[in-house]
Amino acid sequence: MSKAVSALEGVSHNGFVAVAEAGLRGMITLRGDLASAKMKKAVKAATGTAVPARRRIELNGDKAAAWMSPDELLILVPYADAVATVAALEAALAGEHHLAADVSDARAVFTVKGARAQEALMKLCPVDFNTLAEGEIRRTRAAQVACAFWKSAEDEFTLVSFRSVAGYVMGLLDVSARPGSELFPA
Amino acid sequence: MAMKRYSVFAIAKEAMSYHQGWERAWRAPAPKRKYDVVIVGAGGHGLATAYYLGKNYGITNVAIIEKGWLGGGNTGRNTTIIRSNYLQDPSAAIYEKARSLYETMSQDLNYNVMFSPRGLLMLGQTEHEVRGYKRTVYANNLQGVETRWIEPAEVKKLVPIINIDGPRYPVLGALYQARGGTARHDAVAWGYARACSAMGMDVIQQCEVTGVRSEGGKVVGIDTTKGAIDCDKLGLVVAGHSSVLAEMAGFRLPIESLALQALVSEPIKPCMDVVVMANTVHGYMSQSDKGEMVIGGGTDGFNNYTQRGSFHHIEETVRALIETFPMISRLKMLRQWGGIVDMTGDRSPLISKTPIDGIFVNCGWGTGGFKAIPGSGWAMAELMARGASPLAEEFSMYRFREGKFIDESVAAGVAH
Amino acid sequence: MLTLECPCCGVKAEETELQAGGEAHLKRYGPGSSDEEFDGYMFSRKNPRGVHFERWRHAYGCGKWFLAARCTATLEVFGTYPAQSKEPPAELQAKIKAKRPGWEGWK
Repeated sequence: MSKAVSALEGVSHNGFVAVAEAGLRGMITLRGDLASAKMKKAVKAATGTAVPARRRIELNGDKAAAWMSPDELLILVPYADAVATVAALEAALAGEHHLAADVSDARAVFTVKGARAQEALMKLCPVDFNTLAEGEIRRTRAAQVACAFWKSAEDEFTLVSFRSVAGYVMGLLDVSARPGSELFPA
Repeated sequence: MAMKRYSVFAIAKEAMSYHQGWERAWRAPAPKRKYDVVIVGAGGHGLATAYYLGKNYGITNVAIIEKGWLGGGNTGRNTTIIRSNYLQDPSAAIYEKARSLYETMSQDLNYNVMFSPRGLLMLGQTEHEVRGYKRTVYANNLQGVETRWIEPAEVKKLVPIINIDGPRYPVLGALYQARGGTARHDAVAWGYARACSAMGMDVIQQCEVTGVRSEGGKVVGIDTTKGAIDCDKLGLVVAGHSSVLAEMAGFRLPIESLALQALVSEPIKPCMDVVVMANTVHGYMSQSDKGEMVIGGGTDGFNNYTQRGSFHHIEETVRALIETFPMISRLKMLRQWGGIVDMTGDRSPLISKTPIDGIFVNCGWGTGGFKAIPGSGWAMAELMARGASPLAEEFSMYRFREGKFIDESVAAGVAH
Repeated sequence: MLTLECPCCGVKAEETELQAGGEAHLKRYGPGSSDEEFDGYMFSRKNPRGVHFERWRHAYGCGKWFLAARCTATLEVFGTYPAQSKEPPAELQAKIKAKRPGWEGWK
């Protein structure tokens, strides 16, 4: 068996905030009727959470369910559990039109940590952070690539991008966090 | 109505009376009730059409109607590039006709249009681009258009400020048209307007068309803010506003009107004496006689009649050029503006009859109208005067129905 | 910078998150149609200077298509509505009519 590696194997940089590639994460794209009874049961079994409402992420330890579009969820589980979770989802949704795809290796995950974490992202994403709600997942772009981010802890954002642009995103975050480039006075 | 010639003798003569004897370059008449031909749009294309109607066919009972000030639309807003390195035969014919007319325009119009055949390069920055432009060079050589392929070392000689080493977009060579270049856009409009006026044609400015009248499928005339004007033939040459006029006449065109922006940097000492188009990275640049770097890129994304675009396109265009021209990162932007470009699906123009007998349309030049002005006017005049024009034949608005596209997305370069 | 509220996910997206998709409410013609009908569907466009209805896709967001009503002469946005709409919602049309008394209607 090959040894799985994440996109940048945990590379990190310290600026006015700490940015780091977050290593291997299990991610599953789940499409289907988000309102169906089978979907609710399937998501509960996979993550222990309810089906998230529009633009919300339901966090439960190292698992989560995030709303991506009116017919798509992102299921987060530990990397080692992804394959089994896909099988369980498919069994639970059998008979209903659905798609469960393991995209763990197609993505890269980053954390932006510090009191000014928001500022590092403000420079990259055309998002009004003042209106960002607690527990919201926001799909947008970071400079020239698609991404999604949410507040994963006090003073911490988690950001997901496609694996192929991981180097680019790391570069963006590194430069964005350079000391001296803070947006607002202390 | 003879035009007083501009010359060094005229300057000397007028100096004697302290230059108070210079005449206005064109008259400002009130519109007559009827003309043989009415051209709507006093931009370069409209004025050139009127000029060649007079010069080539003796048709001078002509009015050119302009809702704003002449040359104030795209003619006054472009980045002044002149070239003829297109791929398809019909395109090569009309753009090369235009370029060759630019060669003698200052003499023909007795008006200095500052034609500067300084040379034009289209960079090949990917393998695909290299192959594409070499193919264009071969086509041009068959068409009698003088272009050739040059290697990176010669590019660097022609453009000292260029970075050919990449790393992301190295310069692998370029398509080079030695007799391509620039001209002063305003002067082209003014030169044609002066010549038209001298031929007895009426250039009516600040006159907006409010309706197009036809009876039994034949044109009768137009309604304007300065009254009704009748005509036997009507030419609609209004670029971005073509759909508006077509709607008044009762038909639709296969065009969409988008914003195209351009900018200039602060003036600096001469550093670049060719025009460079970098179509992969999506930007092009030349240096004006005032020393400003004149920069343009692709169109904005949605239908827009405001002559104003969104700033991120400016950002993207400049960012695109920085690897290839590192020094521009130190320059300040002086001014930025936009126009309304009418885009067709195949990026080729419409020079065409319309569903209404006697109404002709000349539009769809998209982002590449300035280089075509004299050729476009020549062809449109022939079409209107004789009912057919070899130069215009393939550019009928009905070509789409027949699938006879003249696909010039590659040759249109950056702005596709 | 154009800002459009995506009716599918609710984000007030600026145009750099969006992809323009051309004129809305085109009547689609296919096999069996006349040359004129097919040509009209494929190529003829209203391209108005004024009130315009367009397709957009939330490319960097939820990825869904939606429709927007805006003015091409002033860039005022009147509203956005679902892509499945056969015509602009009555409420939106009324709003546009109130702002633009001279508007001839959506077709």
